[in-house]
Amino acid sequence: MSENKVINQTAEKTAAPAASAVTMAERDMAKVTAKQRVVKVLVQVALYTFLITMALIVLFPFYWMLISSVKSLEEYNLAIPTLFPLEFHFENYVEGFKTAQLGQLFLNTLYVGLVSTALSLVITVISAFAFARLEFKGKNALFAALLATMMIPGELFTITNYQTINNFLGLNTLGRKLGSDFLMSLGNWSNTYTVLIVPFLVSVFYIYLLKQNFMQIPNELYLAAKVDGTTDIKYLWKVMIPLAFPTIISITILKMMGAWNSYVWPRLVANDDAHKLITNGLRGADFTVDNMIHYPRQMAAVAIVSLPLFLVFLFLRKYIMKGVSRSGIKG
Amino acid sequence: MKKIVCILLLVAMIVPMCFAFTGCKKEDDGKLHIKFYHTMGENLRKVLNQYIKVFEALYPEYKIDHEQIGGYEDVRDQIATEITANKQPNIAYCYPDHVALYNLALAVKTLDGYIDSDEVITRADGTTEILGLTEEQKADFIQAYYEEGRQFGDGLMYTMPLSKSTEVLYYNKTYFDVAQKIYNSEIELDINGNPVYLTDDKGNFVLDGEGQKQTKPNPNKGNEMYNLFVPTTWDEMELICARIVAIENDRLPAATKAKADKVEEVVISETELHKIYVDKEGKKLAQVIPLGYDSESNWFITMCEQLGLPYTSAEGEHFLFNTEAHHEFVTKFREWYIKGYVTTQEIHGAYTSTLFTANTGTKSYMSIGSSAGATHQRPKKNAQDVYPFDVGIASIPQFNKENPKVISQGPSLCIFEASEEEMKASWLFVKFLCTTVEFQADFSRESGYVPVIKSVNTDPVYADFLANANGGDNVAALSVKVCLEQEEYYYTSPAFNGSAKARDEVGKLIQAVFKLSTTTADVPAEVRKLFNKAISECKYHAQ
Amino acid sequence: MAGFLQKIKFDKWKGWLYLSPAIVLLLIFTVWPIFNTLRIAFLEDYNSLTAMRGVKFDFGFANFAKVLQYDGFIKCLSNTMLLCILTVPVSTILALVIAVCLNSIKFLSRFIQTIFFLPYVTNSIAIGMVFAAMFSVIGNFDSGLVDSYGIINNVIGWFGGKPIDWMGTGSGEWPNYVVMVIYIVWNALPFKILILLGGLQSVNKQYYDAAKVDGTSRFRVFTRITVPLLSPMLAYVVITGFIGGFKEYSSIVGVFGDGMGPIGDAGRLNTMVGFIYDALPQQQLGRASAAALILFGIIFIVTMINLYVSKKKTHY
Repeated sequence: MSENKVINQTAEKTAAPAASAVTMAERDMAKVTAKQRVVKVLVQVALYTFLITMALIVLFPFYWMLISSVKSLEEYNLAIPTLFPLEFHFENYVEGFKTAQLGQLFLNTLYVGLVSTALSLVITVISAFAFARLEFKGKNALFAALLATMMIPGELFTITNYQTINNFLGLNTLGRKLGSDFLMSLGNWSNTYTVLIVPFLVSVFYIYLLKQNFMQIPNELYLAAKVDGTTDIKYLWKVMIPLAFPTIISITILKMMGAWNSYVWPRLVANDDAHKLITNGLRGADFTVDNMIHYPRQMAAVAIVSLPLFLVFLFLRKYIMKGVSRSGIKG
Repeated sequence: MKKIVCILLLVAMIVPMCFAFTGCKKEDDGKLHIKFYHTMGENLRKVLNQYIKVFEALYPEYKIDHEQIGGYEDVRDQIATEITANKQPNIAYCYPDHVALYNLALAVKTLDGYIDSDEVITRADGTTEILGLTEEQKADFIQAYYEEGRQFGDGLMYTMPLSKSTEVLYYNKTYFDVAQKIYNSEIELDINGNPVYLTDDKGNFVLDGEGQKQTKPNPNKGNEMYNLFVPTTWDEMELICARIVAIENDRLPAATKAKADKVEEVVISETELHKIYVDKEGKKLAQVIPLGYDSESNWFITMCEQLGLPYTSAEGEHFLFNTEAHHEFVTKFREWYIKGYVTTQEIHGAYTSTLFTANTGTKSYMSIGSSAGATHQRPKKNAQDVYPFDVGIASIPQFNKENPKVISQGPSLCIFEASEEEMKASWLFVKFLCTTVEFQADFSRESGYVPVIKSVNTDPVYADFLANANGGDNVAALSVKVCLEQEEYYYTSPAFNGSAKARDEVGKLIQAVFKLSTTTADVPAEVRKLFNKAISECKYHAQ
Repeated sequence: MAGFLQKIKFDKWKGWLYLSPAIVLLLIFTVWPIFNTLRIAFLEDYNSLTAMRGVKFDFGFANFAKVLQYDGFIKCLSNTMLLCILTVPVSTILALVIAVCLNSIKFLSRFIQTIFFLPYVTNSIAIGMVFAAMFSVIGNFDSGLVDSYGIINNVIGWFGGKPIDWMGTGSGEWPNYVVMVIYIVWNALPFKILILLGGLQSVNKQYYDAAKVDGTSRFRVFTRITVPLLSPMLAYVVITGFIGGFKEYSSIVGVFGDGMGPIGDAGRLNTMVGFIYDALPQQQLGRASAAALILFGIIFIVTMINLYVSKKKTHY
């Protein structure tokens, strides 16, 4: 429970303005002596040197990925690697795309991402609404129970879910007994999109996050709306969702990123080409040419897979950083 | 209020909608669908499709749905999972270990009932066959392959062989031939076996009175080092490895030899002295590893068989490969490894065929690998569109020539529990694949695997295929030919739950023992430790 | 009036109605698994294949005993712990230093901050492959027949170091760990920097003003003011770091592939989560469940210890 408290605090603190740290420094500048001023400059130089060095180190893998992806195999294999490609081989991207069959993987992943995000949002919004606005028996106990499940590592669920999805509610066994193909297909989820979507539709954390956000909207608005005869759905749509929109966007992006980056569960349950997700396809792809890994093509494929994430980041940085600082979960 | 309910209903409907795309529902064509999982690549699937058509013409009431599920392990994992949900396929490619796993759930159908059945079946073209196998059909199978179906400890038949492979010794025939030539020749020959001519100071050939180029006397005539032959025993193999290393040292350029810090001398016999050039870091200057052995696991198990040592047992104590004798042979081969005679796939980091076919860098001149991989042991054609060397293929070396042993591997087929009707249809199809001469012949030609029935030789196309065997374009045929000649040598290991783990572990043992640091003080103690660890690992997984 | 009463009645179960999709899904995919995993963990040698045969399993601690006595599991456990112990402090300290530095600069602060956040929006498998490419030696390290020692070894070479076989066939265990630690720290930095920077920016400036007046040294300000004030955030990143660390898996797959180790020694870097997943295709669910419960136990205990320590040390 206390973990959540911490998260909550973090959320508020991140929202605080960033600029204030510097203003004080400026005020103090007047007081310092010339010597101190020199020290100050030196400190700033040191700070920038350190930060820029670290930033370069952090960036280096991306740089290496990009330059490697356009090198020829011969150039890549040079004893002393070149830090800038001698010539550009953009065909690596075509080959990498083909080798890893990224087209199909991309579509699979996009489908899973879109459907699971949409369904997940609907469930999250109505659940958060119920917790935030409605009064009913057992609400607090239920909410506490939900939060308690967050403590348990997901691997613990996986084992049983792995059984569940092969024989959902025993429907597969029943179907086989009754000779009903339909029942069997209802019970058999492996190598379907269902298995990639349904088990992860409910995220207790997102419900919690959105509930907190909804709570900040004054209850009077809801009561007034009720008196006017506005339905819950209309109120939700017209008032609450717009007010909590930033949070909803954060959730959407994180959920989409989750689909893009998921690896473990898909590897267990969806190995066929028609449902394989992009990360699994990329890791499983064989870039070997003449018994040597064709690193440039591999790097090109990696770059292609990384690109959408960067684009999302570029345009929606604010929401991602906000969401992340609150959630502390990757994707 | 209605709207809320509507929305909720909508949600309730969307969720099942996801379920709905689960169902690539089979179209109801009134046929009995038989599901078959395998690992065949595109080319083999073509062959399979062709014969499925033939089968379905004979039995129009059946439809074979086949699917490639990645590699063997993918097939195994997927079926194991599907068994727990009662949705396993009807037929699958299998290795004995897989059958042992499936049988934890008693999911594999025993075939004895079908094999012995004399029920007469009428086919669509009006002809009949009996459900079981005729005596001729039984006799037609290569016995060792057929008996593999019974290796599960209870004497019952669980699998039918589809196509098989074994391990063979690939050797660089050109290299061996040239060495022999040098050993016997009166005149000096270069490394390609061509005469070396006398030249003057300016590099011009010295001509004799008749305008012929003058040859030089051969310094290596009778030099035992050059006496290379295809080894048939492991002792011979050790000698040949030593000789190849010596030849490569002998052929080092003078400049490289000059760089050597030390010259180690190895006395083989009175007439045979090998020189090994070593630099100051102790690194050997000649880039050669004479032998590559692809599968560490096969190596270990085959050595057990050849030496008459126990390996595993389906009954009682499963893991029997931890005796002094086992430690001894692995330690012996470790010495080979340290001397640079041999490497394996895992230690090398790639199939050892990459060393065998290499043009530059470290090279090997012998390679023990799957007979089905013959085309991978063939070097790439060079700029003149010829193979740089000819591949020779022979049986692997033995410890006891009187009782030779080679491993039998390759896929079998098993049938899973289902309705009587489905199992019967599955059996008919399995029988069709295993006993149809044309299919066996075509499949073998396409895959490089060995057919499981002897009568393929009556197939004219196949006979032609074998007749044209050579060490270049038709290297696959050469490999099949060698395999067919050693049909009496095959052995198989018992299959039980945990036998796959034993296979993995003995393979790792070879690697671990080979990789023991050369500075290890008490090698036998370390080896014992590694063996004990492997046994306990096996036991954990067999429980 | 009757309508109003009806309405009140409806309101009573309306909340449950709205929550029903979430509850149903949670019951199936979260609550049931908790009970089932607990049950299976105590059924000796539970295997879903044998279960199909209708075998009854004994109830007891055998799965736990077997797992804990199994060297392979102990290896996974020690790998996981080692990676945790190595990466969490390193990444936390580094993140703290970077966050403090970022907080002390004005020009380009936002831009640099964005750069540091970049590793967060990556696919850990994909970028793991980039790290693998950077550390890989092309050729055969043992025999010295190497085309290229790779960029990292070249950089080491510029500083006069000797090339190391980081992750190839026959590479040592420590080089493997070093690669993983570098990658995991790289991957963990952005989240920690973000949280700590957020914390720093909301620290009340009066404390610093007071320190300035006293003429306290920078280092003292850092240890006596910044760190204590930041302690809730530090506790938070350490706890989440440990929880994440104990569940380490996909970053190793990214670098070393499915084999979880260099070629020739698959499973060398396997972790607790990897152990659990490996048991699933073989249907050894009893032992997988026992391992999962052990993992849960460890995470629980470590979190409790962390909370206890941070409660003692945290200053609000």
